[in-house]
Amino acid sequence: MKPIFLVATVGLGLALAGCKKSDSPAGSGSAQSAKKGDVKDAPSRIDGKMVLLRGNGAEPSDLDPQLVTGVPEHMILMGLFECLTGQDPKDLHPVPAAAERWEVSADQLTYTFYIRKNAQWSNGDAVTAHDFHRSYRRILEPTLAAQYAYMHHVVKGAQDYNEGKLKDFAQVGYKVVDDHTFQITLVGPTPYFLSLVNHTSWMPVHLPTVEKHGKAYERGSKWTRPENFVCNGPFTLAKWEVNQFISIVRNPKHWNAAAVKLDEIRFLPITDQATEERMFRDGKLHVTDTVPPTKIEVYQKNSPAYIRIDPYLANYFYRINVTKPPLNDKRVRQALALAIDREGIVKFVTKAGQIPAFNMTPPGTAGYTFRSSGSAGVAEAKKLLAAAGYPDGKGFPSVEILYNTQDTHRSVAEAIQQMWKQNLGIEVKLLNQEWKVYLDSQRQLNYQICRAGWTGDYVDPNTFLDMWLTGGGQNETGWGNKEYDRLITEAGRTADAAARLELFQKAEAILMDEMPILPIYFYTRSHLISPKVKGWHPTLLDLHPYEHLSLE
Amino acid sequence: MSLLEVQNLRAYFHTRNGIVRAVDGVSFSVEKGETLGIVGESGSGKSVTCYSLMGLIPKPPGRIESGTARFDGADLLVMSEVELNQIRGKRIAMIFQDPMTSLNPYLRIEDQLIEPLLIHEKMPREEAVKRAIRALEEVGVPDAARRIRSYPHEFSGGMRQRVMIAMALITQPDLLIADEPTTALDVTVQAQILDLIARLQRERGMAVIWISHDLGVVAGFCRRVLVMYAGRVVESGRVEDIFARPLHPYNRALQRSIPALQGKGAELYTIPGLPPDVSKPLPACAFADRCEFAQSECRTGEVALKEIELGHASACMRVQRGELNL
Amino acid sequence: MARFLFIRLLQTLPVLWAVATLTFFMVRYAPGGPFTAEKSIPPEILKRLEAHYGLDQPLGVQYLRFLKNLVTGREPSIRHANRTVGEIIRESFPVSLELGSWALLIALGIGLPAGMLAAQKPNTLQDYVPMSAAMVGVGLPTFVLGPLVVLLFALKFGWFNTSGWNAPSDRVLPAFTLGCHLAAYVARLTRGGMLEVMGQDFIRTARAKGASGWRILTRHAWRGGLLPVVTFLGPAAAGLITGSFVIETVFNIPGLGKYFVGSVFDRDIPVVGGTVFFFAALILFFNLLVDIAQAWLNPKVRLE
Repeated sequence: MKPIFLVATVGLGLALAGCKKSDSPAGSGSAQSAKKGDVKDAPSRIDGKMVLLRGNGAEPSDLDPQLVTGVPEHMILMGLFECLTGQDPKDLHPVPAAAERWEVSADQLTYTFYIRKNAQWSNGDAVTAHDFHRSYRRILEPTLAAQYAYMHHVVKGAQDYNEGKLKDFAQVGYKVVDDHTFQITLVGPTPYFLSLVNHTSWMPVHLPTVEKHGKAYERGSKWTRPENFVCNGPFTLAKWEVNQFISIVRNPKHWNAAAVKLDEIRFLPITDQATEERMFRDGKLHVTDTVPPTKIEVYQKNSPAYIRIDPYLANYFYRINVTKPPLNDKRVRQALALAIDREGIVKFVTKAGQIPAFNMTPPGTAGYTFRSSGSAGVAEAKKLLAAAGYPDGKGFPSVEILYNTQDTHRSVAEAIQQMWKQNLGIEVKLLNQEWKVYLDSQRQLNYQICRAGWTGDYVDPNTFLDMWLTGGGQNETGWGNKEYDRLITEAGRTADAAARLELFQKAEAILMDEMPILPIYFYTRSHLISPKVKGWHPTLLDLHPYEHLSLE
Repeated sequence: MSLLEVQNLRAYFHTRNGIVRAVDGVSFSVEKGETLGIVGESGSGKSVTCYSLMGLIPKPPGRIESGTARFDGADLLVMSEVELNQIRGKRIAMIFQDPMTSLNPYLRIEDQLIEPLLIHEKMPREEAVKRAIRALEEVGVPDAARRIRSYPHEFSGGMRQRVMIAMALITQPDLLIADEPTTALDVTVQAQILDLIARLQRERGMAVIWISHDLGVVAGFCRRVLVMYAGRVVESGRVEDIFARPLHPYNRALQRSIPALQGKGAELYTIPGLPPDVSKPLPACAFADRCEFAQSECRTGEVALKEIELGHASACMRVQRGELNL
Repeated sequence: MARFLFIRLLQTLPVLWAVATLTFFMVRYAPGGPFTAEKSIPPEILKRLEAHYGLDQPLGVQYLRFLKNLVTGREPSIRHANRTVGEIIRESFPVSLELGSWALLIALGIGLPAGMLAAQKPNTLQDYVPMSAAMVGVGLPTFVLGPLVVLLFALKFGWFNTSGWNAPSDRVLPAFTLGCHLAAYVARLTRGGMLEVMGQDFIRTARAKGASGWRILTRHAWRGGLLPVVTFLGPAAAGLITGSFVIETVFNIPGLGKYFVGSVFDRDIPVVGGTVFFFAALILFFNLLVDIAQAWLNPKVRLE
């Protein structure tokens, strides 16, 4: 009995000793534990093969590109499938992929893609225009109920077909000219179209395989299991160990296989940031999905070569329910916006190099940067609040900030609560809800002020601005403005790039004057990454085409 | 030489609320084959006295503060557990007040009964079982061979006490300590158990220490008696002397409160006041506060047990001085 | 005995039914649904999605479908579109079972001796040391202890992997973390149970018979002393072998525990139902085992 007991106490003692040395795993005291040289580099070869080990957030829900919606799935699928266009590894501009070239009509409404003759599926079948035609029909089929089908709505007739209003798919703007020529006709000029078509929702699927393991136009096909999987990307699915890892290996059938340097990529689903960071430090990952906020400074200070923080096409803002007083008063909203010290928030709260946001669209989105009219200060905010009938915040009714339960959101909300109290003399309360309850409250306009985030679907201001159309599905503020609607719709019809961006400028100016949202910051994406990883460039969508990656 | 010679035994309990002087300077002896009765109210220290001898008081909080207890020449109070274990259950056996809780409810009677044999006589199991069955028959358990396979809860109280007695006597001990063995039993069963112990004692010639608060039982069973009060012996002597000529007011009061000794219709006598709290400082004579004869020096003077007549001692200083004739 | 088992099995049915029913209505009436997402889904797509999973049916029909799935496990998960509830449990339960069993072994291996040791000499150093350790163990949640042991044994000494479930040695740290926490409870219960028994009259009887401390422990005291531990272990074991969300997250283990929490967050109704039902059934099963164990330990308990 005694030895066992000894082991127990010694074990506990050791654990406590460990506790003393490194404080807590997430605390500031762990600074020493991430010292230079403390990070073990993951091996660049496993059994002689170049295997990239990547932390990938949540377990993927599926690997059917037409059904998935999440980022983890996207990260895997971009290795498995190839769209008509691909992405340049440095700035993601459209490059030839399944289509070796394309032509755009003068009115910018018709795109003709010439599909490579040597493009093959992983089972050896040729990739043809028919594959794209059938795939795009599948995603638009109402019975499939694909969440991202709306990405195709820029195509003529696609929305009607998707919503069941149009029954004849021949009338939708997809046309097989011949086996290797595929034509798409759009509703209006869409300058970002070539970038749009490399979204997961534009990936082709191998319909015979889908049908073999289920129904073509319904969910539930088992074709995405590794033993059934057929794809056309630079990699194929080798293994899917649920909640352990997904392994994709170089696809020898791919037309560009010779250029692909990595032999294999393993995606490890790790939901806990601290766990992921420990795995990275232990040399079990080349790239992490995230960095715990408390570790950012530690790495920046001690191991700067191992951390990357890059701008990301996403923003963090507060929605305001404009249907209820006192927030139905534009001046109050403006005052609230002016009284937020965004520099303070990114510097002391979020700490990952985020960019303070004074408008909706991240700067430099496809050549678009909002022309700010210059930000007024707290004095102006006080004036506006007084004009609205609340001098020095007197008589201001109780207002609540809603956020989903998470530490960062709480910290930001607390900071803003403090700023409004100090600058405007108003008291706000904080309310947190579990994720789906929070989403539900937001949808029902059952909130006053509500934390929100938005990630661009493609690199164009449109993805940040068309959501604020009156009654739009993502609007969720109750706000609407006819002129704004007109400008956005107009932009959708304008072929001239400069004129189109000007329309966005005007629209966003309205948005920022009306303030149904309080922009707070533009996100960054941070990764821990081994210096051995080559070809990983900062990109706005945090996408890094795998055919260009290698390990030193 | 006496079988057991106890000198100046003090057993205190060190509790959060102070030191409980449960046994405070007790001396007595037991001869071979003799029956000694120890009487007193609950809390008078009679049980603790015996548990101290057997090393059965929980330590801590209990502690033997002083004294010797020579059993066959060896001091029980300084023995190690290992040494003590060779005496307990072999040469000194004990039976307890409550037969319902004193047997292990999780084990068969058989396993409990043969345990002393397995421990002390290193007897093979089958042989031990045979002895155990015989022992059960001797104490009057019918159908012993079958019932030995039962669990305690399948026995009545009287039967369980018989089992306890069989278990205590199975190793033929020299001394049996019986701690109020009949108190928890109803009257007819009480008489049977008394007869049983008396018979076995006669047959085996062992000594018995009989602890009881029931003077009547002691009167019928013992040869010598100690009367204890607040951890001390206040009177000792042959049983007939104790009853015929009480030499301590407490003994006298105790006898007056036996219903059977009262006249019919007379109001039952009760001793005024409560037994003293032995964790508090007591007057020199612990009984002084309840004693109708107490004087001031009873609280302050020197109290010791002194022989008043041959073999009959009292701790009452007024009796010692001849001031009282009880 | 057979009769007892039969009756007990019958008794579990209404309990399981109640658990299932409560679960269904609680998930169904929680705000937000399986398809609630930051990017809201166009209403017509949402309608079709709900139709695909039968969520557009009257509640009664949904309820029956839910109950049927509990028996067949054939319903597909909504979050893990590729797999049925049955598959999910079949894949992940063996992992949790293994981890839980190791943890249980460690908990008993440490907890029982520590508790017994403490009970042998209460209020001495032999009691204070293990019991103080147990207090720390109870007070130290697994989400603190887990990272601590990783920092120490994986990162500092490099004896183990920080996380994962591949090599046999990957079992050590999570099992230790989980086991230590439970060992603390076991030790305290053992001590309490043993102390209670050691104060019983029959222990005094045994000592009066000359039984040694060891003999008293191994023959007289342990049955009664371990009864509280056994009672505690039933539900605890059921909880252990169905996985621990915290441990699985900290050590990235593909166990069942993740699904308990994840499926509720995802409003993944079939998986919520399946896992809760599975857990409830296991608890009832282990309680039955506890009853049998108690009857074996304590002859006064009769299985009737």
